[in-house]
Amino acid sequence: MEPFFNGLIALSDPWLLMLLLLATVGGVIIGALPGLNATTGAALLLPFTLTMEPIPAIATMTAIYCSATFAGAITAILINTPGTAASATTCLDGYPLAQRGEAGRALGMAVVSSTFGGIFSVICLMLAAPLLAQAAYKFSPPEYFALTLFGLSMLASIGDGSAIKNLIAGGFGILIAMVGVDNLTTVERFTFGSYQLYEGIGFVPVMIGVFGISELLVQSQNLHLKREAVRMNGVQLPSREDYAKSWRTIVRSSGIGTFIGILPAEGATVASMIGYNEAKRWSRTPEEFGKGAIEGVAGSEAANNAATGGAMVPTLALGIPGSATAAVILAGLMVHGLQPGPNMFTEQADFAYAIFWSMMLVNILFFVIGLRGAKLFARVTLIPIPVLWPCVFMFSIVGAYALDQSMFDVWVALISGVIGFFMRRYGFSVVPLAIGLILGGMLEQRLGQSMVMLDEKWWLMLTRPLTLLFLVLTALALFGPAIWGRMVKRKSPIESTGE
Amino acid sequence: MRRAFPPHPVPKTGWIMSNKPEYISGRLERWLIPALIFGFCGGAFWLTTTFKKMPPILKRGIQPSDFPQLLIALLVLLTIFMVLKDPIRIKERLQNKTTGTIFLFAIFAALTSIDLFLALGIAAGALAAFWGERRGHVLAIITVVMPIAIFLLFDQVFEIRFPRGLLTNLWYG
Repeated sequence: MEPFFNGLIALSDPWLLMLLLLATVGGVIIGALPGLNATTGAALLLPFTLTMEPIPAIATMTAIYCSATFAGAITAILINTPGTAASATTCLDGYPLAQRGEAGRALGMAVVSSTFGGIFSVICLMLAAPLLAQAAYKFSPPEYFALTLFGLSMLASIGDGSAIKNLIAGGFGILIAMVGVDNLTTVERFTFGSYQLYEGIGFVPVMIGVFGISELLVQSQNLHLKREAVRMNGVQLPSREDYAKSWRTIVRSSGIGTFIGILPAEGATVASMIGYNEAKRWSRTPEEFGKGAIEGVAGSEAANNAATGGAMVPTLALGIPGSATAAVILAGLMVHGLQPGPNMFTEQADFAYAIFWSMMLVNILFFVIGLRGAKLFARVTLIPIPVLWPCVFMFSIVGAYALDQSMFDVWVALISGVIGFFMRRYGFSVVPLAIGLILGGMLEQRLGQSMVMLDEKWWLMLTRPLTLLFLVLTALALFGPAIWGRMVKRKSPIESTGE
Repeated sequence: MRRAFPPHPVPKTGWIMSNKPEYISGRLERWLIPALIFGFCGGAFWLTTTFKKMPPILKRGIQPSDFPQLLIALLVLLTIFMVLKDPIRIKERLQNKTTGTIFLFAIFAALTSIDLFLALGIAAGALAAFWGERRGHVLAIITVVMPIAIFLLFDQVFEIRFPRGLLTNLWYG
């Protein structure tokens, strides 16, 4: 119990509290700006945290994660443009409500359900992460290898690309991670004799490139879009009637969001879609969905914010990112010399609990900020793209440079930004590339360790129950959807005949 | 017959209306992208054959080339699947603003040899103007005030030392 209270005591530092307040406001602004999201925000913020201690640095990044995920709802409701992909389903009912003059009511429900979902998931995080870490403490390299493979297999369903394209993108990410000196044998690989490639390609400039600069190029395609905000008087707390209608949805979506978030690589976007669909399925008035159902806003927002805490469970306990933003936070942990995984809960337990408590505090902070400041933040959404994105470009370049004070990293960020744009254009998500880059080295290292441990007889992995379980889960994650799709396809003619 | 591109999209409001999955082209890209991936994989595989081989006692389970080769083989297999099951399709044609922005990146890269912050200011100001910003004071803020503010923030608060150049020499002396 000591780390539990030590983590809370760490939050009594006024400097940390001020930083969390600033990061929460910053996160709300980032989430409210169309095109910028929690992942881009965290990637751009990472270089700013270099001079900080690990607790403020990672707490700031998680604050951006939580508050930006919530703030996507502001633009979703007011201008029918989700600030983050996770708020796309909030548009479906939030905007019709705003058009009816009930923007304040929709935003009030978004604030309440996001806060509930966020706090619910942080409590689950506090309970589940140490337990998961305890279980993982007994893992040996073959189990870790199979687990990392499972995490990577989940990339198939991440982002907006197709499964095959996502896996190709993830494969390229892993291949980029091979550049540099091999940790096991010290042999140089893909370095072309360049000393700058000797230590490999840093994941921070790549992330700034694929999330920041590629988004800038995507925005250059959207310059013709007009944004018009719906007028609103102020945010209203939900009425007793709205609570009675939505509380079950909020609780259900919080559970769904936390569970989806815990699954490696699945994030808030998937959670909000499932949360919204389930809200509609269980509703007494499903016909109202899409026309301004308050439960639709609650279902989507509770789920996407619950996914933030859920995503931090595998990130901290296993070192496998639970979402794209969690991948950036994982990169942040590594940059600060911290090794996520079971050891974190024995060797750096105070740090882990300080992060949990800071996430809890951020959820309370954005409740207050959301209620009091949503009207003000709504105006931020109207900042013209030609003003906003050149500033993002400058921060991206200076941020890429700042990490190692190397111009080489600037070129890496620029090139990966252009490559990232073309990947997105041709249907490849950039999220698997980033996660593959982070997990690639780990995967190879654990394979090598497993081979040494099993005397180079790889098939002995199949005799280890946990390893076998993770490998079966990997196969299910890769081939399950295709098999299921075929089964449903075969079944459908019979069903239609039956009708 | 070559399919004509649709006219430039009419200004729309909101996200849902602007996100129609209309695929307009991709005949060239359908083959070009897989060809690029195969070419890349071929080159990378050839490079893996040049990696040093470790003697059995030092190889620690796998040779340095084993894992990349396995991965490249997997990438080739996945690309074949992609060609057969999920070919490349494009939602909209590449706009002049995008190609122009990439060209601005190249200009920025060239200007960094003179000074990083000079390059940043010029590139950011040119980007804003190219994207349609016409207000002089806003352009001045983006071109002059923002780079200076970012430089001072990183130099004074984060103690980052930037590469010497025409303008940074004035500060560093």
